[in-house]
Amino acid sequence: HSEISRTRRSCNNSIPLISSLEESNSLEEYTYISMQALRNIRGPITAALRGVREPVATVEAPRVFSAAANAPKPVKMMDFQVYRWNPDSEDKPSMKTYQVDVNACGPMFLDVLFKIKDEQDSSLTFRRSCREGICGSCSMNINGQNTLACLCKIDKDAPSAMIAPLPHMHVVKDLVVDMSNFYAQYKSIKPWLQTSADPKGKEHFQTKEDRALIDGLYECILCACCSTSCPSYWWNTDKYLGPAVLLQAYRWVIDSRDENTNERLAELDDPFKLYRCHTIMNCSKVCPKGLNPGKSVAKLKQKLLH
Amino acid sequence: MSTGARRLSGLQIQVLKLYREIIRAARDKDTEVKTTVLSYARAEFEKNLTIDRKNTLKIEHLLRRGAKQLQTLQSPDFVGVNFR
Repeated sequence: HSEISRTRRSCNNSIPLISSLEESNSLEEYTYISMQALRNIRGPITAALRGVREPVATVEAPRVFSAAANAPKPVKMMDFQVYRWNPDSEDKPSMKTYQVDVNACGPMFLDVLFKIKDEQDSSLTFRRSCREGICGSCSMNINGQNTLACLCKIDKDAPSAMIAPLPHMHVVKDLVVDMSNFYAQYKSIKPWLQTSADPKGKEHFQTKEDRALIDGLYECILCACCSTSCPSYWWNTDKYLGPAVLLQAYRWVIDSRDENTNERLAELDDPFKLYRCHTIMNCSKVCPKGLNPGKSVAKLKQKLLH
Repeated sequence: MSTGARRLSGLQIQVLKLYREIIRAARDKDTEVKTTVLSYARAEFEKNLTIDRKNTLKIEHLLRRGAKQLQTLQSPDFVGVNFR
């Protein structure tokens, strides 16, 4: 009986049973529960005891914790200049300005883009998937810096903001760019484990220290923010691999389970694939996951010295 | 031949090259796939015949799109084109 009364008490719309004094935590609670129970029991005696006529089913009033938090926010309009281009139209690419009430919108730039698409211009085209900074789909240039739109907070004190596609990439439509070259470069470094060891159904073992070598490298989501921020990559898109791909190349080079380290390093040993890096370091500044591609490129250069 | 002696611009040469590559890639496919691919390619090229010669932005965009579709066409797993 005591078990049932305890669970009943914790449900939202339950009829609390009258519990014994020993079970309730205090005299107040006992009294409260009893009164609740009384309120829910139909009967002439209890109604007479209460002295008032109340409808049996009572609707719970919404709980207001603080008046300030629930006050409606004032309208705050902000200008968003968004790069637009439709390949099917004859118009040239242009920056279109949209006015959005940022107080009636989520905090990130992706929320603004959705709000514009839902309410103002449904032809606005952009890539998106996870909305939490893990898929890398929504990478674009916001206020001059490459980031993920789902992780970039709107600065409500600024009067306007600019959203553009990743720089120096061919635009497919509006904010969508052609990533096929980027993916082909990633494929070219053979981003898989190359080993002759046969683990016989178990894992390829490595020590904790060896596993720690990959920290800061495996988290790359291939959003291309870093590569598209590198001026060297802009001028040699076809031949220079770019910081993202070089970070992954380094990830496979220092993975202790991989046996083809020398071949991997030999692949990079030409004037363009690795050595177009001039330590501009835009890549590390811009990485939305906080990784350091510039450092990986330096490490690769060091490895190739020997 | 009436088209014999005209001077073609670089872009025009690229467009013709792309069309030739598509025909070459479609040659090795099954007959019905081949005919659909060729008619799709012809329809796409004819749709854009009226673009201004100087509209390099749009022409290059279409060339890139065509080159990507050509890559899909050349892959051994290609089955067919579905279009109206």
